[in-house]
Order: sequence, then C-alpha cells, then structure tokens
Amino acid sequence: MSVANREISPRLGYGATLAIAALWMVPFIWMLVAAFNPESMGAGMASLVPRYIPTLANFAEAWSSADFPRYTLNTMIISFGILAVQLVTVTLAGYVFARIEFPGRTLCFYLFLLQLMLAPVVLMVPNLVMVAKLGLYDTLLGVMAPYFASAFGTFLMRQAFKVIPRELEDAALIDGANVWQRIGFIYLPLAKPSLIAFSIVSVTAHWNEFLWPLMVINSPDLRPLTVGLATFTRGAEGAQAWGVIAAGTLMVSAPLLIAFALFQRAFVNSFVSSGIK
Amino acid sequence: MTTTRRSVLAGAAFAASFALSPAFAQAPTEIELFFPVPVDGQLARDMATMIKEFNETHPAIKATPVYTGSYDETLIKTRAAMKAGKPPAAAIMSANFLLDLKIEGEIQKLDDLVKADGKSNDEFMGQFFPALYGNAVIDRSVYGVPFHNSTPLLYINAEHFKEAGLDPENPPKTWEEFAEAAKKLTKREGDRVTRWGVMAPSNYDTGGWLLQALTYSNGGRWFNLDYAGEVYYDAPSTLGALTFWSDLVTKQKAHPPGVQAGGAVSAAFLSGQTSMMLQSTGSLTYIRSNAKFPYKVAFVPKNVRNQVPIGGASLVIPTGVEEARKKAAWTLITWMTAPEKSGWWSRATGYFAPNMKAYDLPDMKAFMAKNPDAQVAVDQLAFAKPWFATYKTVPVRKAIEDELQAVLSGKKSPKEALVAAQKTADEVMRPYVEQTALKLPTN
Repeated sequence: MSVANREISPRLGYGATLAIAALWMVPFIWMLVAAFNPESMGAGMASLVPRYIPTLANFAEAWSSADFPRYTLNTMIISFGILAVQLVTVTLAGYVFARIEFPGRTLCFYLFLLQLMLAPVVLMVPNLVMVAKLGLYDTLLGVMAPYFASAFGTFLMRQAFKVIPRELEDAALIDGANVWQRIGFIYLPLAKPSLIAFSIVSVTAHWNEFLWPLMVINSPDLRPLTVGLATFTRGAEGAQAWGVIAAGTLMVSAPLLIAFALFQRAFVNSFVSSGIK
Repeated sequence: MTTTRRSVLAGAAFAASFALSPAFAQAPTEIELFFPVPVDGQLARDMATMIKEFNETHPAIKATPVYTGSYDETLIKTRAAMKAGKPPAAAIMSANFLLDLKIEGEIQKLDDLVKADGKSNDEFMGQFFPALYGNAVIDRSVYGVPFHNSTPLLYINAEHFKEAGLDPENPPKTWEEFAEAAKKLTKREGDRVTRWGVMAPSNYDTGGWLLQALTYSNGGRWFNLDYAGEVYYDAPSTLGALTFWSDLVTKQKAHPPGVQAGGAVSAAFLSGQTSMMLQSTGSLTYIRSNAKFPYKVAFVPKNVRNQVPIGGASLVIPTGVEEARKKAAWTLITWMTAPEKSGWWSRATGYFAPNMKAYDLPDMKAFMAKNPDAQVAVDQLAFAKPWFATYKTVPVRKAIEDELQAVLSGKKSPKEALVAAQKTADEVMRPYVEQTALKLPTN
C-alpha cells in the first residue's frame, strides 16, 4: 500500500478506478436502456440515454421465446451441483497437497496443475466419449461430471491451508480430533474467504457456459439458460432485434447480478483476503 | 426353483403375447434431429411445431428436435456425438459441409433408401432445383436432401432511391451502376456518414459466401467443383471481386469499414441506416414483416456475368445410425422435404423451397402472387451454381474470411490478402492433396 502511495497520488488512482468502473458499466447500462426500448432495432438503439416511453414488450417476447423457468432451474442445478461436489473434492485434495507427506507429492501436484494449461475445447470430445460410456449422455449429471474435480480450486485451497499455522492442527490433534474434525473445525473456517472466492468463480463460469452443455444435452427440457438464450439471439439471417436480445440477456444474467449486489461486501472481502483479483 | 411344465407354458405364452401384441410392434422408434437456427427465434418454435405434427401423424416414430447452435456448432456437436457413439438419426447440415463429411466417412449414402422407395437417384433428385445437385450428390450418390436453400440478393430501399434521383424499378444490374448508386445514396453531415449506400455482411460463414458470389459474378470459379483439394483464391476473378468490395469502402466511401455482422446489416437496412444490402434470401421474410418502407429485391449485380452460389442446408443421416432408426429418419426427411412442408417452411423463412413442386401448390401460388419479391429469388436460381465445398471446408473458408476482414478493416491490400489466403488454404488441404492428386507411382 505504501508503494502505491509513494508512486502515484491517491487521487489519481481513485480517478482511474472511477474511469475503469464507468467503462465497465457501459454494456450493462446499454443493456438496461435497450431492454425497455419499444423500437428494438434502429439508430436509437445505440443510445445510452433512454429517450422513449419504457415498455415491457421486449421482455414479453423474450420470455415467450424460450422456457425460461425450466432453463433457470437447469442452470441452477448445474452450477450449484458442480459447486457442491467441488467444495468437497477441492477441500480434501487441497488438504492432502498442503499437509500430508507422501512420496511424489510435488510431482503429483504439478501434474494436477498441468490441467490448467489445457484448453477446455481440446477435452470436449474425450470428455463426451467418457460421459457417453458412463451412460450420462443427455443428462444434467453428464454436464456436471467433468467439473467435479477442479485444478484451480485445489490449488487455491492448498495455498489457503498452507498459510494456516500447523500448531493449530497439532493442538487439535492433542485434543484427540480426527482428520475430519481437524479439516472441519480448524481448516475450513479459516479458509472461508478462499472458499467463497472459489465459489463465485465456479458458479459464474458454469452459469455462463455454452458449448459444453450444447454438446451433452439433446432434450429440450434439459437445456440451460445459455442455450435457451442462443435459440433466439444467434440467428444469423434474421435481423438483430437488440431490444429483445437485451431483455433476454438481462433475464439470464439477473439472478447472478442480484446475488452479487446483495452479497457484495462479503464477496469483495473474500477476494481481498484470498488474494484473487 | 423347479421348472414345472406349467411355468414353461406360461412363459412361452407370455413371450408369444409379447411378440404379437400390437403395443410391442408399435413401440415408437426414437430419433433425434439436430437443427441449427440460422434465422430468428420464431423459427426454432416453428421447427418444434413441425416435428410435433410429424409425431402426431407418425405414431410409430418419436422424433425430438434438438437445437444445436450455429451451422458450425452443429457440425462440432454432430462430430462429437458420433465419436461418443451417439450419432443423431438426422441432422440439418450446412449444404457445403457434405463433401467434407463424406470424405471423412461421417455421413451415409442414401441410395438404398431412395431405391427402397422405388425411385432412381435421378428421379429422386429431379424434384429439386438443379442448382442444388452439386452440394447434395457426390460421386453419383445422394448424401443429402435439400431442406432450405438460399442465394444472395440485392435488397434496396425504394424511398431512398427516389430521394437520390434513382429509379427503384431499375435496381443496379452491373457493378458500374451498383457503385454509382451506392455513392449517390450515401449521406454525410460533415465528415460523419449518416446513411451508407450499401452494406454487406463479412462475418464468418456469410462473408466467404458473398465474396464467392461477387467472384462468380466476375466470371470466376472460386473452387474446383470436381476436386476437393483446390480453391482459386489467388486468381484475377477473385482479386477483382475483393478489390471491388474494398473500393466500396475506400474509394466510393459508400460501405462502412470493418467487419459487419449479418444480423446487424439487416437491422441497419430496416432502420434506414443503409439504402442497399447484399443479404441472403433467408432474411426475406424477416425483412418483409419488419420493413416500414417499400423495398425491392434484385439479382446480385454482375461485372462479367450473372452467377451466384446457393446457400442453406440439407438433411443428412450420420454414419453409425442403425437400420430401424435410419428408416425412421428417412421417413422424417422425406416428409420434411415433400412439396407441402417445403412450401410452408419457405413461406415462414424466406428461403426458397428446394422442392420445385412446392410452387405448384395453391397456397404457394397465392403467396407468390402476393409477394413478387419471393419470385426474384426463384428466378435467380437459373443462374445459381453450387456452394464452395472442399476437404475441411470450415478452415479453408476461414482462411479467406480472415483476409477479407483484414482488407475491409484497411489492414491489408486485396492482393496481399489473397496470396495469404491461398497459402493458408493450400496448407489446410495438403494432406488430402497428397493422398489424392499428388499420390503418384513411386517406381
């Protein structure tokens, strides 16, 4: 912090932050303005300032274009289902890599990290073959399965566990706590910021995912929001009805935006203490 | 457990009743149809309606429509599903992917199914417009059934034409007139353009298609129709076409610089931000139902001759679809491409109906009489030729589309761009060429 103070004046830094925030806000403001625009296409659509009588017609059209309640449910099952399993796997794997000594631990850990280098697209076909072999083709579980283990999450939890003083665990050990109790009562509460940070990254990533669910899912009833949204926003030969697209996008992203707004303080704190930005 | 005679008899009776019961004989064959949505969302719903009607009229088959993204994503998904051992019974594929799918052994010949219906391949294909054969029949075998097809058209805003002193009844026919009109139609306020003379989509898929249309109109061939390993990107006819497009941006300053997406071009046309556009017939219904001004459509203007590529999609059956599902898929395919449905889908989308007999039906006749613009698309078919298709069509197509986008953004000269595109395309096709045209006797 002192470095920042010395090198640029705090006021300048503050101004830059505001400018970046404003820049970041532009697409969101446009989406809001466009979603209520009765015109839906045309020159007026490029405006960031509403110059019209707001209408809900775009929302009505977007809503009727796809089965949104069902798609929302599917997306929630996928995102939170993945997260629930991941929280267990990354905690246990992180603990093992942080605290348990065994031969080849470092090698094992680096092999695990290598996974981060692979572009997900490369894994698509092998994953799909595996999912089909397991009988999970065209099921929500099939969409979730490849993400049950997370290299990123494991890395994050290992780092978080490593900085927790070993003495705390030793003390619990002396009191007769078994390994589950030590993880549950010592490690997890202290690593909460990292857990929350990881949860946000994970849920956002899977909420927004398009190509993988498109590969696995055939049944219209099992489509997630992204695929449902694409059915009416990605037509190449119609025109882009911006108002409807904006309304649909707003509906799809609203749950996450609202959740973030509600828990903003907790989220930001967790990012700050986990060191992710 | 002892086996009594009675239990054996009961078992046999049970088995017999099972085999003979009508419920068992009619257990519906489940098939799925992969379909992309190249048009607006309404059509995804129209597709669902159509399949529902099929299921109601064919109780022995249960078809599920599966939305699979864009044409390119449909290809990725179909290939991935096949590798996973779950090929869809049928898929709507971009018409120019069929050759590549056939080379890779990923789609089935449909000859035996045509034969089982008591037709020869020529009789079967004879129901479709001849311009469509090239992308559906490969080595004399039928590999795809045309479902919805398009050609590029010139769309003009008649009001803007009158205002600029041009005659909307005589849209530009030559590149000379086209460039002249585009220039006159462009409106400026100081340095700022308030209305463009013309816009043409240059996004992936459409960009390459329109450049092929301009090359065709310039006397070019674009690709070797008979051999999957050759494209003519670095050729005078292509250079003329690309330079013409680039000149509209830099010389006439009547076309916006940079990449234009297909949907955005239609939106600009509808909102009067551009007076003309080159766009697919697939957009016709959308334009018709949303334009608040009189518009006209015309052939793509020519430099040397009138000629355009077809576009659109065909129905295919992937390799590995077993007999019962294959037969069911064929029933669905022939039902969807018969005159009645072909005409209905054409009216809903703007694509022309590939089945010529569709135009003899009363519904279609009434529609064509009311909408002469749809007739222009059909008339242009007399000048239509196959769409570009090679070994690895998508990367070969992207090779030139990346360069087209670089030219329109002012980053490269047309000649430089075409040399680079040719080089990339040749590299992509090399494995095929080495296995075919350059595979020579070694002794």
